[in-house]
Amino acid sequence: MTRLLKILAFGLAATLGVAGAASAQDCPIKLGAILPVSGPMGQVGERIAETGAFAVEVMNEAGGIKGCDVEYVLRDTQGQSTVGVDAAKSLVDLEGVQALVGAVSSGVSLPVLTSVAVPSKVVQISCCSSSESFTALAEEGKTEGYWFRTYATNRSQSAMGALVASNQGYKKTAVIYVNTDFGVGLAKRFEQDLAKLGGTITSMVAYNENQQSYRAEVTAALAGDPDSLFLVAFPVDGATITREWLSLGGTGNLIVNNSLRSDDYFKAVGHQYLQDMIGYDSAQPRLPSVDSFNEMFQARFDGPPNGPGLHSVFDAVMVTLLAMEMSDELTGTNIRDNMRMVTSSDGTEVYPTVEGLMKAKELIAAGQPIRYVGATGALQFDANGDVQAPKMTWKLDGETNVETGYYTTEEVAALIARLDG
Amino acid sequence: MIGVLSYLIFFLILALTLGVAVLGLNLQWGFTGLFNAGVAGFLAVGGYAMAMLTGPSRAAVFGGFELPFVVGLLGAMIASGLAAIVIGLLTIRLRHEYLAVATFGIAVTIQLVCVNWEPVTGGTLGLIGIPNPTKAMVEGSLAQNAIYLAIVLIVTAIAYTGLQRLVQGPWGRTLKAIREDETAAASLGKNPVRIRLEAFVLGCMLMGLSGALYVGFIGYVSPFDFLPIVTFQIWTMLIVGGSANNRGALLGALIVWGVWTMSGFFIARVVPPEWQAQSGAIQAVLIGLILVIVLLFRPRGLIGEEIHVSRHARSAPADARPEAP
Repeated sequence: MTRLLKILAFGLAATLGVAGAASAQDCPIKLGAILPVSGPMGQVGERIAETGAFAVEVMNEAGGIKGCDVEYVLRDTQGQSTVGVDAAKSLVDLEGVQALVGAVSSGVSLPVLTSVAVPSKVVQISCCSSSESFTALAEEGKTEGYWFRTYATNRSQSAMGALVASNQGYKKTAVIYVNTDFGVGLAKRFEQDLAKLGGTITSMVAYNENQQSYRAEVTAALAGDPDSLFLVAFPVDGATITREWLSLGGTGNLIVNNSLRSDDYFKAVGHQYLQDMIGYDSAQPRLPSVDSFNEMFQARFDGPPNGPGLHSVFDAVMVTLLAMEMSDELTGTNIRDNMRMVTSSDGTEVYPTVEGLMKAKELIAAGQPIRYVGATGALQFDANGDVQAPKMTWKLDGETNVETGYYTTEEVAALIARLDG
Repeated sequence: MIGVLSYLIFFLILALTLGVAVLGLNLQWGFTGLFNAGVAGFLAVGGYAMAMLTGPSRAAVFGGFELPFVVGLLGAMIASGLAAIVIGLLTIRLRHEYLAVATFGIAVTIQLVCVNWEPVTGGTLGLIGIPNPTKAMVEGSLAQNAIYLAIVLIVTAIAYTGLQRLVQGPWGRTLKAIREDETAAASLGKNPVRIRLEAFVLGCMLMGLSGALYVGFIGYVSPFDFLPIVTFQIWTMLIVGGSANNRGALLGALIVWGVWTMSGFFIARVVPPEWQAQSGAIQAVLIGLILVIVLLFRPRGLIGEEIHVSRHARSAPADARPEAP
């Protein structure tokens, strides 16, 4: 027992010594990352973590931040909120980081935000947390502006659906939606958005997944003689619902979200029956910065950046580092205030290549605003720390899926502002 | 140095909060031999009760009564106690692995109810904005956390002293008798089913209390906080610390949580950057290794059960008189 205590005491002393030494020096500058590199999200999290490290490498090649190399301190959340919270606190208190990148799951990011980032006044930026709770918390002023995410929120989905319905001149729309948090949230938002754009809802019908038939739901949705159907579904059930809808006399004027943009769905229903369908989806922004990121990634990892969160974590790291460069003194509050200065819409555009970052640093040194345009395009954080992504609409022409419209990030943001205003 | 202090406070809050649940499990497993594999479920009941009682009122969700923190703690214990009575009445006659399977299933069910019962639990979005009582008392996160640690320390001390008194008294001896030989205990006129149920309910109330302390500290609750891994962690703490010893239970909570978190700290320092993404796997191996080593060298836990011989037995030759338990 005494030996055990000695070992413990030694461990503690070592920790204190190391931590004490760490806080005394200024170089390297540390950036904390809390990501699930093991546990249920491990496969996804590991690639995200590597891409975050890659962003730091690129920045260091361009000379680092404030003349210092940036050290990327990664801690594993194991996909567990308690572990993630502790990891974040230890990064802030023992490593002295002023900005945290992470986490992936909203169930980890939110506890970290409320119990570590906000109380310690440290910036937190997530690549992947999608929950609407963050927006709600920010609207209540409880994030104090320390929360950001580079994941484009679901908010735009319902707005696009309503816009499509209104552009087509549909007056009476039925809604059938999958009974999950995704489907319920989207359908309820659509109901509000459509009303703002002048349409009316004839019925809102939820369905549970993996049923043999949806006759009852479809019959309920047909009540009120709708001239269009907004369908929030996934391919297999979506095909069953669509077939029953059409065979029971429903209109072919379908509006569908990105989850039904799938050949399985088109084939299961039959292309010829879907010619009046209009869909929408997130669009890859058409910018040279996206291609240059893809090329850099390919060169570094010998494979394309396919996988959730890779583009957005790269941008999360880059924007944070640039905001650090712009801060006179490295505090969470300064970084927070500069997050929008490095993504300002009237700034000079900079790309996340080594040359681009060097140029960005020159501009920052000259006191000029910059506009970071990165792997997910031009980011623009709204008051709640959320960003939007460009959207596109599509339809079927014969058997080909063709694009019918493209909405830039600004247009999507303007649409949402109009609907929320 | 202020950073180290701040982190230590934070660490102790989480470790002791988990420690309260370990005390509850110790009563069930350590003293009574009840294999409760559903710890996370009772943490969830307590956590959500706390959120409903003390959280802000919201249009979309039932609850949000904005009651004081203490009411939240008591309410969480009552809620998890009630849940334990219902579950206990159904399952308490099951032995060992059968009880384990049943309680494990119940914990998973509770977690799924939290995911789906949107009008009450907020579904996958969880419940936000649960007030941390220290935020209204002082400014500055260090002072707030220090006060919260004091609250957790007081709660832990009450739970520990209460349990010590119980298990050292006649009721505690009956628990051990039932754990060792239920038939023998029954033959002495004890009602094992009733006493097992009492221990089960009391233990679950402590787990609910732990969940409430956690939620009150973090200010947010979601179904994500109560995955089965939490049950596993609580069990590890008890086994490493020493089953059937309340001090062991608390020590286990500190040591295991320390290993769990500090291993990440050391790995982040030692592992070269290009290996960082694999650090999760290294950490898991390290945690497992340390736990195995502890159990190899101290199979009964760091502080195992103290062997008690009746104090009358020791002085038996001089003073041999029978006494009712």
